[in-house]
Amino acid sequence: MSATIKPFTDEFEEYGRDESRTSGEASSISFPSTEDEVRAILKKLHAERVPVTVQGARTGLAAGAVPHGGHILNTSRMNRYLGLRRDEQGQFLLRVEPGVVLSELRKQLGKKVLPVAGWDQASLKAYDEFQEAPEQFFPTDPTEASACLGGMAACNASGARSYAYGPMRPYITGLHVALVDGDLLELQRGEAFAQGRHLSLVTAADRTLELDLPGYTMPKTKNASGYFVADEMDAIDLFIGACGTLGVITELEIALQAAPAVVWGVSCFFDSEDKAVSFTDSVRPVLSHAAAIEYFDAGALDILRRQREQSTAFASLPALDKEAKVCVYVELDCDDEAQATEELYHLGWVLEFAGGRDDATWVARTEVDRECQRFFRHAVPESVNMLIDERRRTDPTITKLGSDMSVPNARLADVVALYRRTLAESGLESAAWGHIGNNHLHVNILPRDAQDYRRGGELFAQWASEVTAMGGAVSAEHGVGKIKAGFLETMYGHEAMVESARLKFQLDPAGQLGRGNLFSEKFLDELVQKGGA
Amino acid sequence: MSDFHMVVCVKAVPGSTEVKMDPKTNTIVRDGKQAVINPFDASALECALALKDDFIGFGMDVRVTVVSMGIPATESLLRDCIARGADDALLLTDRAFAGADTLATTYALKCGIEALDEDFDLLICGKMAVDGDTAQIGPELAGAFEIPCVTDVSCVQSAGFTTCGSLALVHGCDAGEETVYLEMPCAMTTAKEIGQLRMPSIAGIRAAEETDVRVVSAADVNADPARCGLAGSPTQVVRSFVPDRDQTCKAVEGTASEQAVELAKIIEGMA
Repeated sequence: MSATIKPFTDEFEEYGRDESRTSGEASSISFPSTEDEVRAILKKLHAERVPVTVQGARTGLAAGAVPHGGHILNTSRMNRYLGLRRDEQGQFLLRVEPGVVLSELRKQLGKKVLPVAGWDQASLKAYDEFQEAPEQFFPTDPTEASACLGGMAACNASGARSYAYGPMRPYITGLHVALVDGDLLELQRGEAFAQGRHLSLVTAADRTLELDLPGYTMPKTKNASGYFVADEMDAIDLFIGACGTLGVITELEIALQAAPAVVWGVSCFFDSEDKAVSFTDSVRPVLSHAAAIEYFDAGALDILRRQREQSTAFASLPALDKEAKVCVYVELDCDDEAQATEELYHLGWVLEFAGGRDDATWVARTEVDRECQRFFRHAVPESVNMLIDERRRTDPTITKLGSDMSVPNARLADVVALYRRTLAESGLESAAWGHIGNNHLHVNILPRDAQDYRRGGELFAQWASEVTAMGGAVSAEHGVGKIKAGFLETMYGHEAMVESARLKFQLDPAGQLGRGNLFSEKFLDELVQKGGA
Repeated sequence: MSDFHMVVCVKAVPGSTEVKMDPKTNTIVRDGKQAVINPFDASALECALALKDDFIGFGMDVRVTVVSMGIPATESLLRDCIARGADDALLLTDRAFAGADTLATTYALKCGIEALDEDFDLLICGKMAVDGDTAQIGPELAGAFEIPCVTDVSCVQSAGFTTCGSLALVHGCDAGEETVYLEMPCAMTTAKEIGQLRMPSIAGIRAAEETDVRVVSAADVNADPARCGLAGSPTQVVRSFVPDRDQTCKAVEGTASEQAVELAKIIEGMA
């Protein structure tokens, strides 16, 4: 009952990198298929103090799954559905292993067919009710649907629909977390809370953990930066968004929602960014059923126009009007078509008020049209990745530079102005898109050479400072991983980083887990040498 | 009266591949749930709307009318066509039309098109429907109206229309592709490659809500009941069924020539 720890030979090369387009080194790798196997592997590696990088589907953009030496613990083979129950409110709660892939989950929920092999009678009874109930869905929707649920929990993933549904955190009602020594925490939302900033947790081996939480205050924005800490917090929240630095998620219980009966997508086009920002500010209080408000800037639309002309793979993209400079996409989740139509007309009035035209919009009401809009939206990051891959052929030192920062509602215009001014001053090529409804844009620098890449990095550091000053977060949904570890100190300050590291050492005294994630290795090693003090 | 009138025939088809059959009549059960515009007809409509854009650019007054025969619920699909840019729509709906084969459908559509307040210049159909796969309606309609018809059109060039009054149509043929020039009135059936149907705008949806879809019965269009529906259909469906599909994999081993001989035997066995 133990998974093999294999040497990290050439056949596993792909596991040295993830979607961040960065790569690292490891000496061994394993693919456990059960919680017990994970615990056995951790126990063995703990005895030898071997660093452990946890991997899911390796779709992360912050390099959290990229190994920095030691062992890769890949959970992609832990993909069983374990059981189903209903809570007191009648909500369906599904237990899964961390390697379950989001697109598969969506497919199963859509068909109302779950793999029930090995389920107990109580789960099978709940499953009968699930099949009779209205269609259920899981609202967290990162662009990359091949992400797995364990990885999504590790970075507190969000996606476009987080405007209405928030990040993944509240939909996780239970977690199993294997600790670095092989012990286990079984956490259920609503059962264990901090006393102020102190948590007492009892492990499966009946060991009591006394954890002092950092004292920093998190920003009131969309946020996936560093450990989630708050007074009297629910213990489960500490392990969501922890980037694989406190333990290994071996089981999740997720809360399903009733799927909206009507989903319409509306693409609105404007001839200036100012109008798009004004529209966003105005439409937010008007719409009651907006699930997503997304943005594509002029750079992003230009890339799509070029791709449509030049690549057969993108030839079926809908044609963009010449006057369309930027686009705001709004998704409406409604109870029925009458409600959706009313929301659509409200949106149209705000659009015209903001300087847009209601005849220059795309409204997707059918599955064919929604698929067309999905293709359009997903073609942007895909095209940027292709562009960067092309440029890497001539200069392998460059890679994609994508921001993930958010600010409070009142600072949307300020942060957009900041991006626009500093990008113009730098002369860097860029394309921005993302979750404007949450004041959360992914500004992507498209470096042409190593100099551009360096200057882009400097610009991101400047943005991290200014976004922090606006009350924002340096990572809103991708997690900090390795790529944004430097920004975390900018956001919370040095003392908060020391407190965070102390918390980590209470669970992982040798600093084995997720080396390079959240903290620089130098910073952690120095603390280890000081005995974690 | 417009300078140029296009009629586009559309059909509501099931939105999924799971088609329900009526065990008694052996015809497809059309309950309107999750019905969509036949994808080939969607391309036909896009072709008409693109031509409309071109002709408006030439300073012409253009009208696109969408016509369908179907159950009452088809009205919402026709309204959707108006939201996407069609000017008006006619729905032929009557129990008398039920169970129609392509001949009876053609007859009903012809009656409906003749009842429009304006003759057409161009009649456009999708080349086939994804549920019936007959590809007969477009050519049959052309025959009924005694006008030329070009099938499987993948590209329409309108540039020369104002000077010579004809459209250049690129269409599939036995030799591959050819370009033909047609004067109006004429009929054509479209391939999907001709264009993806544009999405409606908010303004279009508003306009569609305010436009009446004309809904007519067999009697309204003076259709002879004996030529409609099952009564007017010489095609008798004896049985409809989903073909069994089985896949097996067999490894062929040996030298290249031995494998070729074995493969030939397998293929012969399939005949």
